[in-house]
Amino acid sequence: MLSNLVVTKQKVVLIIDELNRERIAPKFIGSLLHEQGQGADTIKALPTGVSLKHVATFEALIDKYANNNTGSTTDSNFTGFNVILPTLADLLCYQTPAFIFGFLNRLRRSENVRRVFLWASPQHLQDPHADYILAGCEYLAELVLRLETDKLLSLISRKPGGGVTNRRYSCEVSKTQFKVTPLDGGRPAGASSKQPSPEAEQTPEPASSTFKIELDEDEVLARNALTLPYERTSEPPEGNIIYTPDADDDFDEEDPDEDLCI
Amino acid sequence: MATSVLLACGLNEQKLPGFIHISEESNVDGSFLISCVLGQRLRISNAGTLLVCLQHHYQHYFNAGMRLGYNTNIFQGKTLGVIDVLSDMAGEGLASKWLTNTEGQTLTEQLVDDIRAQVESNYANRNSYTVLIDNLSILFNLGASKLQVQQFCQDLAALAKEREKLTVITKLSNSDIYQLTDNNVAKLGQVRIQVLRLKSGVFREVDGKLLIERVLDEGNYACEETRKEVLYKVNDRNVKVFAPGEIGVKV
Repeated sequence: MLSNLVVTKQKVVLIIDELNRERIAPKFIGSLLHEQGQGADTIKALPTGVSLKHVATFEALIDKYANNNTGSTTDSNFTGFNVILPTLADLLCYQTPAFIFGFLNRLRRSENVRRVFLWASPQHLQDPHADYILAGCEYLAELVLRLETDKLLSLISRKPGGGVTNRRYSCEVSKTQFKVTPLDGGRPAGASSKQPSPEAEQTPEPASSTFKIELDEDEVLARNALTLPYERTSEPPEGNIIYTPDADDDFDEEDPDEDLCI
Repeated sequence: MATSVLLACGLNEQKLPGFIHISEESNVDGSFLISCVLGQRLRISNAGTLLVCLQHHYQHYFNAGMRLGYNTNIFQGKTLGVIDVLSDMAGEGLASKWLTNTEGQTLTEQLVDDIRAQVESNYANRNSYTVLIDNLSILFNLGASKLQVQQFCQDLAALAKEREKLTVITKLSNSDIYQLTDNNVAKLGQVRIQVLRLKSGVFREVDGKLLIERVLDEGNYACEETRKEVLYKVNDRNVKVFAPGEIGVKV
């Protein structure tokens, strides 16, 4: 399921939507969180619409959840809030890009915020510098999910240690489910990794390394077809001595025992 | 006269969706839709209508209504309210409130306030109330920015959400030029009607194409939508619709 890939330890999640699903963006993100068992009390959404005109709306969210003035830190199970922001197009309708970046950064730095979700549809960004703003959001994000087509998506993930992975998946989408399968033949997202299949136990995967040790099918065929020099291709019919004399040898073709009357 | 085109667009019901957007491509005229919807709403008993005239003045809609078989003058002041921006500007000139920055308010903010005032005074007495905005692109000509127009539509959508029986219908011409504004306004509503020109040229029997997109259900990950395409021809006193392929070239 897509939620296995998106609801992770990465804090700032940017979803770039090329499919014009902006109207269901909050529902989409909320469903991902619910699938991963995130409680409704940890999911907080900034109000959309006309209220975005007022800076007080943003400050109220920061004060209440980022600074955690709700008192939730007393709960031992509290792990942080999941904040769903309005779409980038709606934010840009009322606030400047600098304000949006600053707000995003404040949420990112807050210890009481576990994850921040931002949805961006390029065909809705009403700003002359939309490309630059989207690039800035990608820079801030630790996980970038790009919904490319109905069947394809890509996921760029930045680990805390600095490693970056970029993987592509095929997807099957229905109204209530979003299944993904890696395009490089890996196991579909969401499959259990605790009980490997019998086939996997018999043929363990080689340890990942920077050297390519395994042979492809083509390479195996080519190796088998190769004939080495001086390699015998067939068995001789009987024992035989093959002597090639050098230039200094005094080689006599005649049989030395020919004059014997034996 | 106009029943067939409203039936094709799904706008013949008594209760319309909360927000409907009409996107009109360049070089094609979708004004007939506004006149058709206006006539249909006026014919419904105790249904209020507010017409915001930006592209044409009120007299144009009266003339169009007479051709389609209804008289707007009978309903004006009763079930029909009119905000005639063009006539106000023509009458008052540069002193018109639409051209001056009254009390620090922009044009779109003043317009929202006027619409809200009309709705609040008339909505309670009506079984349904429809606000028709013709045409958003004129706001650009009057000095509004794209963000202001987007905020204006967001305010209208919020107004429609506050009131269950309220429907807002907006029209934006040259939607291919104002693509981003068109996308942002269309996403606010459940129904989008695109008035498109014929791609292969012009034809005597057909004026253009209507593409009607309707969101039936919003799921968690995808929406259930329907798309329907019809051809139309605007005649002197009626509007005809055809299914694609119905009209052929007669040799």
